[in-house]
Amino acid sequence: MKSLLATLALTTALTVPGLASARPVTLTTTLANYGGPGAYLALYVTDSSGAYVGSLWMAGGKSRYYEHLRDWYRATGGDTAQINGITGASVGSGRTLEISLDLSDALFDAGYTLHIDAAAEDMRDSPNEVAVPLTRAGAGTPVGGRRYIASFTYAM
Amino acid sequence: MKKILALLVASTALTTAIGVPAWSAMQAPGDGVRGQISALMERTGDSLPIVLASDDDDDDDHDGYRASGRYGHDDDDDDDCDDDDGDDDCRGSAANPAPAGTVAPPQNGLFGSGAAPQVRTN
Repeated sequence: MKSLLATLALTTALTVPGLASARPVTLTTTLANYGGPGAYLALYVTDSSGAYVGSLWMAGGKSRYYEHLRDWYRATGGDTAQINGITGASVGSGRTLEISLDLSDALFDAGYTLHIDAAAEDMRDSPNEVAVPLTRAGAGTPVGGRRYIASFTYAM
Repeated sequence: MKKILALLVASTALTTAIGVPAWSAMQAPGDGVRGQISALMERTGDSLPIVLASDDDDDDDHDGYRASGRYGHDDDDDDDCDDDDGDDDCRGSAANPAPAGTVAPPQNGLFGSGAAPQVRTN
């Protein structure tokens, strides 16, 4: 009986920090009515020194266009292994992309920044269209883009 | 009068004797160079395909657009590298990434679990 209790206590102690270290986060990106075809978007994170940490989402499935997501491409060399399993369709003009992720809690209030690079066919590339520090206080606050993105919000 | 008639008969006989064998030789198929040329001329009118040769690869990449930081379709007629067909013809270029839901997200330290992201587009 004692060994069973000890095992339960141990598994609980191991599980609870794991649950606490991740939280569901919703990233909502609303595109402006720029009047062109679907936009490619790369959502990725840099650390406090500006170094690339990893990607959160890629909207647009054709790798031959990734060079136009210039900052992301420069950081990754266009390595598609960075976005396996987190790639979806490009996003049309005026539409809203809503992504629900289970993100590490350690990303918030630790100097990390979420970036979005954007590009659309036969239109200008827009690297670093959005750059928003990941903080708990900043959750739910809309941030505007420069060319293709009307607003971006992350909610916890 | 008899003399004139005899001359006409003689010239006609001579023309016939020389002309008929010559005419027959011209019409003989495959007989000599003339026959071969004749055969070629007849075949060209038959079914030889028309082949247009050009060094223009019809690739209308707009480099000016690319230089100004835009992406677009190259208007070439080569669809071997078209990613919509689902095959893997682009041996030299990077493969397309695995779509969400087909494999787990990358282990880059950002994701708290291996759960696939949920996506919705309005």
